[in-house]
Amino acid sequence: MLSKITRRHFLTATAAGVSLSGWLGRLAAAAPDGQRPKSCILLWMAGGPSHIDTFDPKPEAPANIRGEFQAIETSVSGIRISEHFPRVAKLMQHAAVLRGMSTLESDHKLATYHLHTGYQNRAGAVAFPSLGAIVAKELGKRDVALPNFITIGRGPQEALTAGFLGPDQQPLTVNDPIRGLDFIEPAGEPEQFGRQIELLQGFDQTFHARYQSPAAETHHKSIDRAVKLMNSQQKQAFDLSREPDNIRERYGPPPSASVRPAAGGKMVSGGERPGSFGQGCLMARRLVEAGVPFVEVVMGDGVGWDTHRDNFPRVRALSLECDAAMAALIKDLDSRGLLDSTLIAWMGEFGRTPQCTGGGRNHWSRAWSSVLIGGGIRGGQVVGRTDRDGATVVDRPISVPDFLGTVCTILGIDYKRKNHPPGVARPIPIVDTSKDVNLLTELL
Amino acid sequence: MACGKTTRGNHPVRRLTRILFSFVLVAVAAGKCQAGEAIAAELAERIDQQIDARLSSEGVRAAELADDAEFVRRIYLDLHGTVPTLEQVKRFLPDAEPNKRARLIDSLLADSRHGQYLADIWQGYLISPLADDSTKRAERFRHWLAEQFNTRKWDQIVTELITATGKMEDNPAVTYLIEGRLPRAVPDLTDLTSRFFLGIRLNCAQCHDHPFVKWKQEEFWGMAAFFTQIQTPKRAKQVYEKGVVDDPQLTLANLKDAGVPDGFIQRAPTFLGGQALSQATKTSTHRAALAQWITAPENPYFARAMVNRTWWRLCGRGIVQPVDDMHEANAPSHPQLLELLSRRFVESGFDLKFLTRAIVLSRAYQRTSQPGESADKSILRTAATEDRQAALFGRMSLKVLSAGQLYDSLETIAGPAAKVTGIDVRQGVRWEFTQFFGESGDPDPMAYRRGIPHLLRQMNSGQFAGRNLDGLVTRLGTAAERSPEEIASDLFLTILSRRPTENELRQVKSHLARSGSAAGGLRELAWVLIMTSEFSLNH
Repeated sequence: MLSKITRRHFLTATAAGVSLSGWLGRLAAAAPDGQRPKSCILLWMAGGPSHIDTFDPKPEAPANIRGEFQAIETSVSGIRISEHFPRVAKLMQHAAVLRGMSTLESDHKLATYHLHTGYQNRAGAVAFPSLGAIVAKELGKRDVALPNFITIGRGPQEALTAGFLGPDQQPLTVNDPIRGLDFIEPAGEPEQFGRQIELLQGFDQTFHARYQSPAAETHHKSIDRAVKLMNSQQKQAFDLSREPDNIRERYGPPPSASVRPAAGGKMVSGGERPGSFGQGCLMARRLVEAGVPFVEVVMGDGVGWDTHRDNFPRVRALSLECDAAMAALIKDLDSRGLLDSTLIAWMGEFGRTPQCTGGGRNHWSRAWSSVLIGGGIRGGQVVGRTDRDGATVVDRPISVPDFLGTVCTILGIDYKRKNHPPGVARPIPIVDTSKDVNLLTELL
Repeated sequence: MACGKTTRGNHPVRRLTRILFSFVLVAVAAGKCQAGEAIAAELAERIDQQIDARLSSEGVRAAELADDAEFVRRIYLDLHGTVPTLEQVKRFLPDAEPNKRARLIDSLLADSRHGQYLADIWQGYLISPLADDSTKRAERFRHWLAEQFNTRKWDQIVTELITATGKMEDNPAVTYLIEGRLPRAVPDLTDLTSRFFLGIRLNCAQCHDHPFVKWKQEEFWGMAAFFTQIQTPKRAKQVYEKGVVDDPQLTLANLKDAGVPDGFIQRAPTFLGGQALSQATKTSTHRAALAQWITAPENPYFARAMVNRTWWRLCGRGIVQPVDDMHEANAPSHPQLLELLSRRFVESGFDLKFLTRAIVLSRAYQRTSQPGESADKSILRTAATEDRQAALFGRMSLKVLSAGQLYDSLETIAGPAAKVTGIDVRQGVRWEFTQFFGESGDPDPMAYRRGIPHLLRQMNSGQFAGRNLDGLVTRLGTAAERSPEEIASDLFLTILSRRPTENELRQVKSHLARSGSAAGGLRELAWVLIMTSEFSLNH
């Protein structure tokens, strides 16, 4: 269907807009008490953080396994984590540390794909959707300006995909939160853009009438949605300059102040600016407030947590930056009454070897940790246990389907529900149920 | 590489085919004989007989032939992966020669760009985006494939891929074999080989007997066993350092030792259908035996798979749908047509250009994609009858431009992409673009699957329409003193390969009047044309 909405939208949208607090306030007020639909913020630690140096410290292990960091007490007695997460340590009552992660892939891309989609599928017969796309489809609202799946920071593109769920669930990526969303403004003057869209409508209408093609209609619908976003007030959620300085600072040091030490003298954190992860977390909060059901914030584009060398200085710097951002996010959501309806997941694609070799740790998927926070879970607990060296899971192993099934359940999604991808004979459940799925019922 | 050929050369049918074929080659080389073209034209005739008979038996009207503008854009996109240049369009449209479509087809197939385009498509199928270092490999592999598609036959190409040995740098064909990492590479190779070369989805049978079709789990592992001689976990690193070598000692058992892949069954190398590897062929490597079996003229799957895939690529839907899911319970829409094309493809010595030429010469391919008005007004046009017309190839289907076609078309129109903030081109501009706009595997060519992220970038980034549109407008305007309307008309020809209609020209004029300067208005027009549904589709 050709819509005439586009043009009208454009013509009525003005540069002035409505003040941010105004529209956010209205949205918040519109949500019925305690019935806010849930959202999820995935903090993706690209490269695979060492579990021993973060959330599963091993003070009893020999020095070359224990590493250089101390374990510290947290707000929940009995739970100890790395000294470089001091702020998160004080918020442990909201968190569940999953120390039994035990997964199958120890190659970055394959593991990243597996953790995001829940399926191992390398030959590519079926294009599986990423968790964000699944949540977008299950919880997202139709006919809203903002996409339901937004990623911040340069992410693992091949894993951040709508797969067979199609164009409506595709992730919109904010490459650099400090710069804001790219390509949201027209290249020329607004009047010029409006004029062009009007001419486009005319041409497309003729073409659509002549060819009557569903592909053409979908194309035009996508244009309509993109223009609608360009003209919406909600796009202000991408604009961090509307946030007070003191809040921006809470999420992390300003970009110039923190410089991560580099391995071998080279800049290793990839294209991401230091400090941008924190600002990404702030943007995630703004997007969740605006009703986006799934936001993924990526930390560590390029090498990131992949600390084969210089493990300790790099993990220390990354941890401190992550700690500030995460703690600010938790407190900010909490103070706005959004923590119970917003699940924060912290994880990478795997953990790292217990042994340090050459100052680094290598890939380790047999035993590692992830963290779930908020979302109405029972916080202040540890699920699963690894052995003295953090090498194997000795209690409560958690597979990828166990983990994703639990995340879906917390969000109110039936993980067994089946999708029917076009061109695939068999229906495909949201989470792979070919083996038993053991939900982490202790969190629910 | 060579081991496959020596054994194959002894096959009497193959030898005969080859002798016949080299005769044709020599004749063509002499420049006297248009035998290949003539045979293809004859096959195109037979394609149409089949299609038309079916249409009339179902009482479905066929659409008109596409006009020259629709045809020229379609044929360039389908054979070269880009829209034609302004000059090419301007040469073709006024040409009064009755044979001009066939001549254009011949020249496009003879151009090396044809092989490059096929290579672009096939490296996408055969290299997973999850592979490490995929850009560099894809680049090398694509060059190799282009050379193959331009100069060799399909059975030879597939044999090269399956039997490749050595390092990627020396023999890019091995990219296919070592792309997936160990140890699950064996199941992956089994899956890819059966899907892309045999048109069979065997991967479901990796873990369980297929519920709808005859493939059993043991058949998957019987095929998988052909690949184990190169692939064992112990050699994971060696594969990169030393390249692919066969070790006759290795079997599925080694694979099992490394950790049991899903559904693992111990089985000796066994061809699909149950024929075991014979004692005689055991002297060669397993892969050579497999390649020989796959590419044999009597293999019931090989030719059909490529025929169906080529038809699917050119016509938007396969004779069997989905394109790689050919089995008894999934009947072809035109069984005799599939049979005919497969037989003729085999007889041609698996000559892909011959097959392609025959299909694109047919009226079925050259029909318009417009539903049009029914001559008989009493027949109510409904969605169902419309679908029937397209499903029976009584009308061309609209295909969505692939990411590669989009990129290359934009380059044809407005030159290389500008560097743009916000787009990470560390791995190459075209690579990034095709990753962003494209999809892995072989998605339905008729489904438009791009959403807000793509359209934002399409409209507002310099990489899409922010290319040198001013330059384009200037270039069109400098030839002589030309009116804005004439330049506008050339913009339509450049971007959409057709002239504007009266109605469109009226809209353009009113647009130019509103936009202040003629140059600015024309630049805006160029932007608009690139945003149209028409541009994003191959109609």
